[in-house]
Amino acid sequence: MGDVSTAGLDGLAERLRVVAGAGNVITDPAELRTYECDGLTYHRATPGIVVLPDSAEQIAEIVRACTAEGVPYIARGSGTGLSGGALPRTDGVLIVTSRMRRILEIDIDDERAVVEPGVINLDVTKAVRSQGYYYAPDPSSQQICSIGGNVAENSGGAHCLKYGFTVNHVLACEVVTPDGEIVEISEAPGYDLLGAFVGSEGTLGITTKITVRLTRLPEKVETLLAAFDTIESAGEAVSAIISAGVVPAAIEMMDALSIEAAEAAVACDYPPGAGAVLVVELDGPTAEVDHQFAQVKELCDAAFEIRVAADDTERALIWRGRKSAFAAVGRISPDYIVQDGVIPRTALPEVLARIDELSGDSGVRVANVFHAGDGNLHPLVLFDDAVPGAAERAEMVSGQILDLCIEHGGSITGEHGVGVDKAKHMPRMFTEEDLDTMQMVRCAFDPAGLCNPGKVYPTPRLCGEVPGRRTGVHPLVESGKADLF
Amino acid sequence: MTQVIDALAKACEVRPAEPEDAVQGVGAAYVAAPATVTEAGELMRAAAEHRLTVVPRGAGTKLHWGAPPERCDLIVETRRLGRLIEHTAGDLVVKAEAGLPLEKLQEAVSGTRQQLALDALVPGATVGGTLATATAGPRRLLYGSARDLLIGITVVRADGVVAHAGGKVVKNVAGYDLGKLFTGSRGTLGLITEAAFRLHPLPQASAYVSATVADAAAALELTRALRRSSLVPSAIEVDGPDPITVTVLLEGFAGGVPARAEAARDLIGGRITEEPPGWWGRLPDGEVLAEVRAAPSKLTAVFQEAPAHVRGSAGRGVWHVGLPAGDAEQALDRLRRHGSAVVLSAPDGTALDRWGPVPALALMRRVKDQFDPEHRLSPGRFAGGI
Amino acid sequence: MEDFRELLDDCVHCGFCLPTCPTYQLWGEEMDSPRGRIHLMSQHEQGEPLSGPMIEHFDRCLGCMACVTACPSGVKYDRLIEVTRAKVEDERPRGRTDRLLREAIFAFFPYPKRLRLLRGPLRAYQASKINMAPLLNRISPTLAAMERLAPPRASHVRLPERVAARGERRAVVGMLTGCVQREFFPGVNAATARVLAMEGCDVVISKDQGCCGALSLHSGRAAEARAFAKKTIETFADVDVVVVNAAGCGSAMKDYGDVLADEPEWAERAREFSVKTRDLTEYLAELGPRATRHPLEITVAYHDACHLAHAQGIRVQPRALLAGIPGLEIREIADPEICCGSAGVYNLLQPEAAGELGDRKAANVSATGADLLVAANPGCSLQIATALRRRGEEIAVAHTAEVLDASIRGIGKEQLSPRR
Repeated sequence: MGDVSTAGLDGLAERLRVVAGAGNVITDPAELRTYECDGLTYHRATPGIVVLPDSAEQIAEIVRACTAEGVPYIARGSGTGLSGGALPRTDGVLIVTSRMRRILEIDIDDERAVVEPGVINLDVTKAVRSQGYYYAPDPSSQQICSIGGNVAENSGGAHCLKYGFTVNHVLACEVVTPDGEIVEISEAPGYDLLGAFVGSEGTLGITTKITVRLTRLPEKVETLLAAFDTIESAGEAVSAIISAGVVPAAIEMMDALSIEAAEAAVACDYPPGAGAVLVVELDGPTAEVDHQFAQVKELCDAAFEIRVAADDTERALIWRGRKSAFAAVGRISPDYIVQDGVIPRTALPEVLARIDELSGDSGVRVANVFHAGDGNLHPLVLFDDAVPGAAERAEMVSGQILDLCIEHGGSITGEHGVGVDKAKHMPRMFTEEDLDTMQMVRCAFDPAGLCNPGKVYPTPRLCGEVPGRRTGVHPLVESGKADLF
Repeated sequence: MTQVIDALAKACEVRPAEPEDAVQGVGAAYVAAPATVTEAGELMRAAAEHRLTVVPRGAGTKLHWGAPPERCDLIVETRRLGRLIEHTAGDLVVKAEAGLPLEKLQEAVSGTRQQLALDALVPGATVGGTLATATAGPRRLLYGSARDLLIGITVVRADGVVAHAGGKVVKNVAGYDLGKLFTGSRGTLGLITEAAFRLHPLPQASAYVSATVADAAAALELTRALRRSSLVPSAIEVDGPDPITVTVLLEGFAGGVPARAEAARDLIGGRITEEPPGWWGRLPDGEVLAEVRAAPSKLTAVFQEAPAHVRGSAGRGVWHVGLPAGDAEQALDRLRRHGSAVVLSAPDGTALDRWGPVPALALMRRVKDQFDPEHRLSPGRFAGGI
Repeated sequence: MEDFRELLDDCVHCGFCLPTCPTYQLWGEEMDSPRGRIHLMSQHEQGEPLSGPMIEHFDRCLGCMACVTACPSGVKYDRLIEVTRAKVEDERPRGRTDRLLREAIFAFFPYPKRLRLLRGPLRAYQASKINMAPLLNRISPTLAAMERLAPPRASHVRLPERVAARGERRAVVGMLTGCVQREFFPGVNAATARVLAMEGCDVVISKDQGCCGALSLHSGRAAEARAFAKKTIETFADVDVVVVNAAGCGSAMKDYGDVLADEPEWAERAREFSVKTRDLTEYLAELGPRATRHPLEITVAYHDACHLAHAQGIRVQPRALLAGIPGLEIREIADPEICCGSAGVYNLLQPEAAGELGDRKAANVSATGADLLVAANPGCSLQIATALRRRGEEIAVAHTAEVLDASIRGIGKEQLSPRR
């Protein structure tokens, strides 16, 4: 644990107490440490100050106070991110939006809702379901992740194959810019700043109010669980479904190891002995779903068992195994890395075979869970930190899996974000010019480089002389190096 | 003069501009047509060295949109950048150069029963032009617009640097989404040279259900009923006011569409056809053409405030209105009370506030300053004089 | 017992526990969530001394175990907080007021006879109809909470030591009468004994039984809890099944195996005892219905007591039993996994937080529009009924046993009228 260099922050803490109220500013060392990481525990840094604001105006004042003192600040929602996007800085302020969780407006007629950033994803759906609507993006952590965090990460979910990502369901955001201004951004008129902001991982400002699109609940939902002997035959079924012109709401695949973990965790009762299971969900008008579902069942004929959810309870049980898979791996391995890479779907068989080889050669076990419909892999690389060298071997295999993704024209992250964890991999996917160009957007929004510095990009683009920046080490240069263990 | 054209010619094919190359009456000096992304980069670098103002041009179908450029030294044509780079049917992804006409792209992917689910509002439009103007038609309701379908982009910056963002996989959150930033940027941030899109299967069947109603309030009721239904229409369009027609498009499997079409007819009345009405997916007539965005429930207000032709997506709340030049200014003011109204085209010399209030304009200026610090790319064509 | 460090390491910091944690719902702070508390426990385990703020966050945990249900990684938070509370009691002397309050609580609650004495003054408050709350609030919010929760007047019922099965005997079961249940809700015990008998059980109700130790166990008073556990094991040595109608007691008794694991002469007996402990609804479901159910035309909001739903995983059985009554309609309460704030003695120790949680639960119960609130824990019923009263609403409350009893005896819903 690095030393907590709060010395220079006492004055700022006092200022923040005035802004946000004394009870909403945390400086006790033990309390601060509980914020040292988000859902990715590999990177830790105890924040200098934690503040829990209640309004956009407070956030604007906090940002202005930080800017005046040249102190970096990082926004955090529920702290469930898997790339260390909300990793604090020992010399910075962590702005936690978990108390801004009001649903401000529900407008069923115009199919939209206005929410504060700390509102839990699933709570939006809960609030509108009785009126026949839901909020479509459904990351696996939807019961706890916040909409503000979803906006930062452009979160997807199992159903984004058909319904798209957060960016396709956000109509407008109120944002506190690094200037400390409160502005409203949307797709139009003017530049689509909203499109650039969503998924910028908290580096362009802090969203304080989000207008989301609500989606009509489908008339019919069919969910099946198909158990295959091998992962190859499951993969072939996926290809067959896509080639047939069916766009399912979701196609998820789990291999034997991840099934074992889910079984241990939530007793999801998947068919025993399966080498892989597919969860296929279709939704839409009854007439369409019935037709497609019959087709999908035929295309899964290689399965040794097909179960169809008879009702919502059975559907929930099928999904429970899938949605708890990451955390469930804790049941079969003391430590693990959740990887997130994307490949073109057609490369699936080859990439899976290569992962298998990597695992075999290194002796590192890899459990595979993925959104098969869009080629988003989530290999879970298992290790025991108590065994010397195991963590390094796991890290190596995990990195090699990303190499495979890049080699096949894919991406280093499909939904977890780059954060602090994958910034180093960005130059393998993008040229120096690409990264420089992307950071021009950052320079436009945050010339001082104080808004979540050190995330996404391995090296900062210098934005020119900016008044008010503190002297000494450039905040970006030392970024992301705090307390790695 | 010759020095400049020689410098440009080192990069790619270039010629002196003709009078008909003028952009809204602003005459150009040179017209260059790079054939590769590398050539485009060299061309833009040469233009930067000579501080030339640059206006990109695809098929030229929407070159009259926006305000006239302040200056136009060089027109960069994308017609030679017209290749379809990659279509992997199994991945439902296509990558093309900016100059490829949208129709040709559709033709190429339709062989595998796939489509780019984006309607070209203007015949002949290219991939690049469609992106730069962010045009989308009726099916934006179900599939979203260009920004939602774009998964990767290559651009040439004002300084000639070639940059990529996104990729060729549908799901990808690595780095900022420059594609969305460039979509609708009207050539003011850089030159779009390549784009990758996600594709959708071509529907087996489609049906249109059209009903004519007495007034806008009745039209709103029908569109509301359609939105609240479980029919999942691909489009809900309205056209009027003389008469006001509501048309809904249903797409899907051959076995499912007829039943859904009948359910839609039960809901709104009217008749079922296999072909769309003649106005479907086309811009309305009118001297001043504007794009209005407002909540779907503002449909009646839009009809009330626009003494002219209204057509567009009643499901999404994006309409095109064709206004008589004389009434345009007042109509736009009134429309802007309900949402945004941006003038796409107006007769030469019309003095209009084309953009209306643009929130976050200061941020947009800073984005422009980063990408084009010398303001040489389509200067003056965009919001706030950008 | 498993190594404490290993138990801590099971947490992967995913955050799935956050939304089900009542204190996180209230305050939205990491330190007042299970994930944050585990982090604090880790800090202490790594050598950080217990600080005032740390203890405050541990004290604020209701011990509702909703996080245990929500956790995909199988973190045994119940064990973690139990051990941590014992450490707090061992390592850090508490302030005078807090200490006196705790002593007072533990001098009364686990002892039915003393509880009975306490009832006199509380009854006087109620009978006088003088609203003492404002005055008491000024003296101590905690005393005010006790006054608010003062249970309804009910005459003491003496149960026989053995109730014979009706019809052919299917089993012989022991019955725990509990402390609060016995003194404040004797009707529930009577109903429990009748239902068991009518379903064909001989019910053995030992007069010697005392407290099961649940309150002590859940408050870090480990030695006291062990003593109560041993006494209870001895009391029920002769029966094969022990039926419990109070969720908190049942969950503690099912934990005896862990509680006495380190005492060789008791470990095996404790494990066996835990195995033979059954919640009433759990047992009735296993047994299967035999007695005829008479119709009860009533809408019921069923509340999941934390120590039943989260600690014992019993959610389906009580609902199924209630649904088996003709005419009875069950309405689900929104956010069923969130604690009502009663949580053993929590409402005495943390009255403000408990009050807020009670208000939230009351709003959700009110939204169901049901006639009757049914819960398996007396504390929950009191807490929610009190919170509803603050909203100016009244609802009849009953234990599952009372509803079954009313149906089987065919005495009609009038018997389940609101208590005042």
